[in-house]
Amino acid sequence: MLNFSPSEGSAAAAAARRASAKPGRTIRVSVKRCEGPGQDSRWETFSVKVDRGANVISVLQQIAANPVTVEGKRTTPVVWDSGCLEEVCGACTMVINGKVRQSCSCLMDEYAPGEGDEITLEPMTKFPVVRDLWVDRSRLFHNLARVKAWVPIDGTYYLGAGPREKPQQQEVRYKLSECMSCGCCLEACPQFNLEENPADWNTAFIGAHAISQARLFNEHETGKALRDERLEVLMGPGGVSDCGNAQNCVKVCPKHIPLTESIASVGRAVTLHGLTRWFKA
Amino acid sequence: MAQQRVIIVGGGLAGLAGSVRLAEAGVHVDLFSLVPVKRSHSVCAQGGINACNDVARQQGYSEYEHFDETIYGGDFLADQHPVLEMANWAPKIIDLLDRMGVPFNRTSEGFRDLRLFGGSLFKRTHFAGATTGQQLIYALDEQARRYESEGKVTKYEYWEFLRPVIEEGRCVGIVAQDMRTMQIRAFRADAVVMATGGCGLVYGKSTNSIICTGAAAARCFKAGAWYGNPEMIQVHPTAIPGADKLRLMSESARGEGGRVWVPRKPGDSRDPKNIPDAERWYFLEEKYPAYGNIVPRDIATREIFDVCVNQGLGVGGENSVYLDLTHRDPEYLQRKLGGILEIYEKFVGVDPKRTPMKIFPAVHYSMGGLFTTFAKGRYNPTQPLPKHKSGSAAPLGAEVGLGMAMGEFANAQTNIPGLYAFGEVNFAYHGANRLGANALLSCIFDGLFCGVSVANYVRDGAPKARPHDQIPQGAFDREVEIEARRYKELAASASRSGDEKTNPYAIHRELGNEMTAACTVVKSESRLVQCLEKIAELRERFSRVAVSDAAAWTNQTLNYARAVGDMLIVAEAIAKGSIARKESRGAHYRTDYPTRDDANYMKTTLAKYDEGTDSVTVEFAPIDASLIAPTARTYGKTDKKDAKPVAAGV
Amino acid sequence: MASQSFLDRHHFLLRRLHSLTGIVPIGVFLIAHLTTNSSLLWGKAGLRGTGDHYSFGKDGVTLLEGGVAYFQKEVTWINEQVPHLLLIELTLWLSIAFHAVLGVIYARTGRANTSRYEYQSNWRYRLQRLSGYLGILFIFYHVATLRWGWTFLVPGGTAWSHDFAASTLAAAIRGSETGFTAAGFAVALLYFLGVTLLVFHFANGLWTAAITWGLTISQRAQERWGYACFALGAGLMVMGWASLLGAVMIDPAKARAVEQSIQEGKVGESLAGQADR
Repeated sequence: MLNFSPSEGSAAAAAARRASAKPGRTIRVSVKRCEGPGQDSRWETFSVKVDRGANVISVLQQIAANPVTVEGKRTTPVVWDSGCLEEVCGACTMVINGKVRQSCSCLMDEYAPGEGDEITLEPMTKFPVVRDLWVDRSRLFHNLARVKAWVPIDGTYYLGAGPREKPQQQEVRYKLSECMSCGCCLEACPQFNLEENPADWNTAFIGAHAISQARLFNEHETGKALRDERLEVLMGPGGVSDCGNAQNCVKVCPKHIPLTESIASVGRAVTLHGLTRWFKA
Repeated sequence: MAQQRVIIVGGGLAGLAGSVRLAEAGVHVDLFSLVPVKRSHSVCAQGGINACNDVARQQGYSEYEHFDETIYGGDFLADQHPVLEMANWAPKIIDLLDRMGVPFNRTSEGFRDLRLFGGSLFKRTHFAGATTGQQLIYALDEQARRYESEGKVTKYEYWEFLRPVIEEGRCVGIVAQDMRTMQIRAFRADAVVMATGGCGLVYGKSTNSIICTGAAAARCFKAGAWYGNPEMIQVHPTAIPGADKLRLMSESARGEGGRVWVPRKPGDSRDPKNIPDAERWYFLEEKYPAYGNIVPRDIATREIFDVCVNQGLGVGGENSVYLDLTHRDPEYLQRKLGGILEIYEKFVGVDPKRTPMKIFPAVHYSMGGLFTTFAKGRYNPTQPLPKHKSGSAAPLGAEVGLGMAMGEFANAQTNIPGLYAFGEVNFAYHGANRLGANALLSCIFDGLFCGVSVANYVRDGAPKARPHDQIPQGAFDREVEIEARRYKELAASASRSGDEKTNPYAIHRELGNEMTAACTVVKSESRLVQCLEKIAELRERFSRVAVSDAAAWTNQTLNYARAVGDMLIVAEAIAKGSIARKESRGAHYRTDYPTRDDANYMKTTLAKYDEGTDSVTVEFAPIDASLIAPTARTYGKTDKKDAKPVAAGV
Repeated sequence: MASQSFLDRHHFLLRRLHSLTGIVPIGVFLIAHLTTNSSLLWGKAGLRGTGDHYSFGKDGVTLLEGGVAYFQKEVTWINEQVPHLLLIELTLWLSIAFHAVLGVIYARTGRANTSRYEYQSNWRYRLQRLSGYLGILFIFYHVATLRWGWTFLVPGGTAWSHDFAASTLAAAIRGSETGFTAAGFAVALLYFLGVTLLVFHFANGLWTAAITWGLTISQRAQERWGYACFALGAGLMVMGWASLLGAVMIDPAKARAVEQSIQEGKVGESLAGQADR
């Protein structure tokens, strides 16, 4: 059936898989490995015993403690990036079974519920690999600077409270502000592609993440001061117009941020800004 | 003259607040972090940030009462002047965060909304959904990025701090390693600020992020910095047991009406929703009618521990109790607690809006940390006042400088001049137990208030005469050499065939299990001595450690192993501090000394590293308790039979 | 940044013109074009009057005969009554060329990933680009053969005539004046694909344009507009398929007979007009 909604896939099916999982089973974990930038990748498969509550992190930790492949070959522990392990820092993002997501919230009971089930772990493809599953996401933060994603306050001296805000407005901003810069939206975006050279970052597509953050700060009373500057960037090469409306971003966003609404909202803003600019001077 | 430079190690709330303050003051900041700063552990803080506010003020609350609560909550172990200053600054800090665009929850009229939190009878906790820490750090991250784009802040992300460089009796820089290229090099600075957070990983699994090893603090400790109150480790009463970590269930779940209970019948296997009220034991509400479910953390922790471990009343006979929100409107819960309830559902697979959550205590926060000094402010009563009566008029106002003297070099400085400690790694403010929603406050307060002290120190202190660029290169080369050697030795260990005894992961796992068993909720001399023996064994095994990766590029295993070695020192400090403190106070509960002993132990535990013996020594230093006289910390408990914390003289 | 390319310097304007040309004039033309062409099937219902130039009257005609007649009237009207026809055509061709060239440049910035993210919206993204690539080839063939008279590309070599609109169209698509040839079948298939893809391209483009321009912001609005575009697309699709169905079903010889009679009637009509003067 026709689908214009921000989510696809069945939560019920996932819950059923979780319920069917047998504790104490052995699963296979295939990891795409790479020793460093410019080096070839290879696959290694590990056999891991998992219990209830096991996730990709605990599986990788087990492998690290005893890095032996299914062929019995001693290898090195898998390198990966992680932090909070509760899906608020965004660090442990990787491609699992072909789709991007956080590895900490990826439960084995759901992804490999049966004896001998296999999962595959790959690094994100839109950022340069550092080693194994660890990628360099500097561009993502660079893009935040590109759209001046901050409120230009006068300084940290005491100047009283900030602007009052309606609760409805707060709810909109809070949702946008939950973005943890994990990069899922960029990994899944067909318009956002690997750019190894930082010199290209200012003209390559900026992606849903930064567009949504630009909207967040344009919605703030004080943040509005930089609105035009942000819109100018988003009207330029790699700006919001480069969006191809595949809308994968909103489907893979782990925080369910209405990214496509942000894109449309910024679309409206640049439309109006473009028109007024054209007629102004 | 060269531009003044400050190195800040750690890009969480404290490090970022300090960076922003220093950059604004015209001091260049080099910001080092294991992770992109936006991913620092501060993101995990859920509940909120405390501050006196206009509504509470009209109900009788005051900054002074916030101060009083914090001292009382910390069981009178904290130096009092710094806490006073922090409480007085809290409203200003909220206003500043508000200006930075933090989406604090709002009332229908557009004012900042407030919630009730442990340790207070007033609503004084500001919050942004259920991810307040995340929202605060993002606001500061954004400001830091702004300064970074102006060239005033330089970030060194994925750089690991290895040691401070101490020359001419003060800290003049650091040695750090690029975690990708593995390059080890020194960085010069006029002052160094440690803002490296807590040490939860010493306990293996905790609520902390994977980066909270305490290794950075340990490296300063081994370089001569003192460690204060290491034994004061807060165990959060409500965490979700997990395979890789114990995920926090925020105190706000209790603040929003969450009720803690167990079935009265041991091992009752019924669905919790089918257990009638009469067969449920709401033990916190029963024992503490005044505070009920919102008793402070250490009390809630011990009660849950007692119910499960001692009385065997845990759910299904396991170590867990119910935290029940199912009596609240699901929509209300979604709005107020959406974020944290999602975490539970995500990691457990059960909807807490419809089924009571299963929770158990977990190591959460380190009140102890690097020992720091402070300069007393203007408020100095001739003798301490009695405990403040909640809701009564405050004896003093909230002007700047009553608690601490602003801008004095001494504030938040360790015993090593030029080496500062901000945030969780600073032992100050929380005494023997931290109140919920005070951590974010102390982090930002350190950055903003003590940041000024750092700026003043680099301008007018020792660096004025000899700025960083005049320190001889030899001092830096020497320290780089030490770390390069340590690194080489570890890397060489990859050629040895290791076993379980020398596996860093095994050593860490055993350390975590031992520390959790011996140094958390309930401690005793005999168990602690045993724990020390275990640590000694682990240290010996670590001297033969064998890593499983020899790569010269992005060798995480090596960094991890090195951190495990440093964690062992922190563990020793925690265990030795726990043994030395022969009393029960706040988070530190000794079965063999169940009462508080103010005469002998209302003092800071000062752990020092002895290079000669490569071990930790512990002594006690007097505290500043000149503002409020100690009273028993009972939170109105009615259960007279129980002989838990009763202070001397009350 | 002096080294910025023309595309970069006018990035926003070009992107928006690209979006705009897809709707006006191309999309609007598509609607009109399919409306006219589909009259091959529904034209009988649209016939008005029983003037003597319809020597066979309304009631006695078959469905296709009515369609042929109506279609011929429409074509004649366009060719003889619409002012500045050549200018309109040139504008249209330029717009299509502009939309196509930029479209290809833009499409080349993306890398489809439907194999990993098999969401419907992602498939639409991919199809939008695919339909653009194939659609432009089809349009070129369509215009070249039926408008510019490149008969060497037409199996059977039929040249389309606006005086014998339906019969020549049918012959061009069927591959001969008389029956259906294999080559004709290929042309028909090409038309089916081309029309289908282009209608999808337009309907989906209309949906995304509303996001691009910021008309539909909320999720609900995007959904509602999605259904509206789907409805429009479905309508156009029916018309497109109807046109094609009409073209392949029509016997060119019979159609020619109808057209002949209209030609005669038309002569009479224009004479009558002169007499009035």
